[in-house]
Amino acid sequence: MKALSIILLALIPATTLMAQSAEEIITRMERNQVHDTSRMEGRLIINDRFGSRTSSFISYARGADDALIEFTSAGERGQKVLRTRDEVYLFYPDAAELIRLQGAALRDSMLGSDVSYEDMTGNRALLDNYRVSLDGEETINDHPTFRVKLEARGRNVAYPRQTIWVDRELFVMRRAEQFSANGRLLKEVEVKETMEVSGLTFPSRMVIRDVLKRNSSTEFVIDKAEVNISLPRNVFSLESLRW
Amino acid sequence: MKFLVRLATKNLWRYGRRTLITAAAIALGLATYVLLDSMLVGADEESVRNLIWYETGSARVMHPDYWAERERAPLRHVIEDPDSVLDALRSQDVAATPRTTFSGELIVWRDPFPEDGSLLVHVTAIDPETDGRVYRFDQWITEGRPLQAGEPGVVLGSWLAEDLGAEVGYPLIISARSRYGARVTIDAEVVGILNSPNPVINRGGIFLPLDIADLYLDMEGAVTQIDLRFADYARVEGPIAELKQLPALRDLEIADWRLLGADYIAMMEADSVGSGIILFLVFVIAAVGVSNTMLMTIFERTREIGMMRALGMDDRAIRNLFLIEAAGIGLIGAAAGILLGALGNIPMVRVGIDYSAMFRTMDAGYRSTGVLYGAWVPSTFVIAALMGVALAVIVALVPTRRALRMDIPRALSRQ
Repeated sequence: MKALSIILLALIPATTLMAQSAEEIITRMERNQVHDTSRMEGRLIINDRFGSRTSSFISYARGADDALIEFTSAGERGQKVLRTRDEVYLFYPDAAELIRLQGAALRDSMLGSDVSYEDMTGNRALLDNYRVSLDGEETINDHPTFRVKLEARGRNVAYPRQTIWVDRELFVMRRAEQFSANGRLLKEVEVKETMEVSGLTFPSRMVIRDVLKRNSSTEFVIDKAEVNISLPRNVFSLESLRW
Repeated sequence: MKFLVRLATKNLWRYGRRTLITAAAIALGLATYVLLDSMLVGADEESVRNLIWYETGSARVMHPDYWAERERAPLRHVIEDPDSVLDALRSQDVAATPRTTFSGELIVWRDPFPEDGSLLVHVTAIDPETDGRVYRFDQWITEGRPLQAGEPGVVLGSWLAEDLGAEVGYPLIISARSRYGARVTIDAEVVGILNSPNPVINRGGIFLPLDIADLYLDMEGAVTQIDLRFADYARVEGPIAELKQLPALRDLEIADWRLLGADYIAMMEADSVGSGIILFLVFVIAAVGVSNTMLMTIFERTREIGMMRALGMDDRAIRNLFLIEAAGIGLIGAAAGILLGALGNIPMVRVGIDYSAMFRTMDAGYRSTGVLYGAWVPSTFVIAALMGVALAVIVALVPTRRALRMDIPRALSRQ
């Protein structure tokens, strides 16, 4: 009995250490990937049964909540998507119309990609939304990674469970899986390339697959990035959509 | 006057062929009017019945904020304690059933489906035990079987199933958000295919057991609506006013089928304007035909008018004679028209006209899947009879007055 107590006492700090290290891993990953401010230029390459098409964009972001994406490719030029903490707005220049997306409309995919508008909402810091635990280590595409399990803290989190593979050296995400409340895999994210800007390393090419919709994938490529820069005033306001 | 009536009757008999042609024109116009009206009224009656029996019930109890956001089928405005509401309704002998409607994405995969695909849908979760008290689906399950509580089964509208290539036993996934916003997926199997008389249900109906929706959507017993059926299913004002007095329903809203089926009602109202125009055109065509025949009749008899005036008959008596003759023609035409309309209406009411090929591909707004039946509308027959007589008299007025304005020698010399 005494021996058992000693083992249990020995285990408790070890478990706490594991949990702390999982939080530390996520914190370090987010420090790399979530920027105070950023401006990026990139492309969405959407592959589906109809073929492959590319849309280019410029995005601005502030922290985990605010983002503005402006499409620059010919087919979608001038279309903008504004994400604030809880809402998503669309602007179509041809119609000069501002649309607040709600309900089922949030489930529409963005430009037919594997990313829905609702995927863009509620991106608060992961540790605010999830309890994290280290689930082991694994090599992903020749990169040694920590496998971190995320369990939602509340019932209002879009993806109740996630698994994220974080690069052990660079603390950048290498892979992620997102699950429904009842454990079905919904989305897979695979990071193909990373980029380093101002000492911060973050994914620059990743492939997103909506597992429920077979035969489609969306490649998200960042060609140019500037981080922690000063952004135009009111860039994340509704007025900015009508520039 | 008696003399004029007798003379008019003789004249009608004497000019038999002319009387027959004019009366036939009136009869044809009125029969068309009667049949068209029968079909339009029948379509409306059937649509209202199918709307209530398969789509809205007589009325719906819901959270007061639900209606404004109904298009998004939100799960945040719910009836938290449906049991107390159902108990209160039971105490009033009102048939009621709880339901939850939610929006989601229906996902099907190739093999067994012909293609991979997804569709944004509204899913209706029903209580298989009580839903039949308000709705009449079970008799229209043409393949498979009705839903059973506790099983992740789905019943699909027949046209939706056809479009998806779905058959009984096929698996599908419903992806949705829980009441609190978490992503959930429901793996279900098609257990039945529903071919109801309501095209809206056939085109987009997806039904799931309520307890399964409750479990997956984290509803904790709450529902989005309680649907009601009253003894007289379409008459709702009185029963709703009584139900609003119940303490259990005080903080909830009760919407009747007219509000719930507002899209159809709006279509019906717009349609009634269109129907009115069609009926008016039928009337105009009949009027033109009748007036033309009456004009001919009176102009051909200008000499006769001159003769009667020369023999000392006063203008008023002549005008009355011709108007009585016109009324007689109108009466014969109206009687024939009503008879023709009634005979034509018998197969319209019993057999109907099959529009199924048209309704399958086109959403005309009617809640009918194909065969539209006529209806017996007594008021239409009365209106048609009055219209036939009045029309004949009105169109006879002008040429008679014109003939009477001619001097006697000119009238007598007219060939």
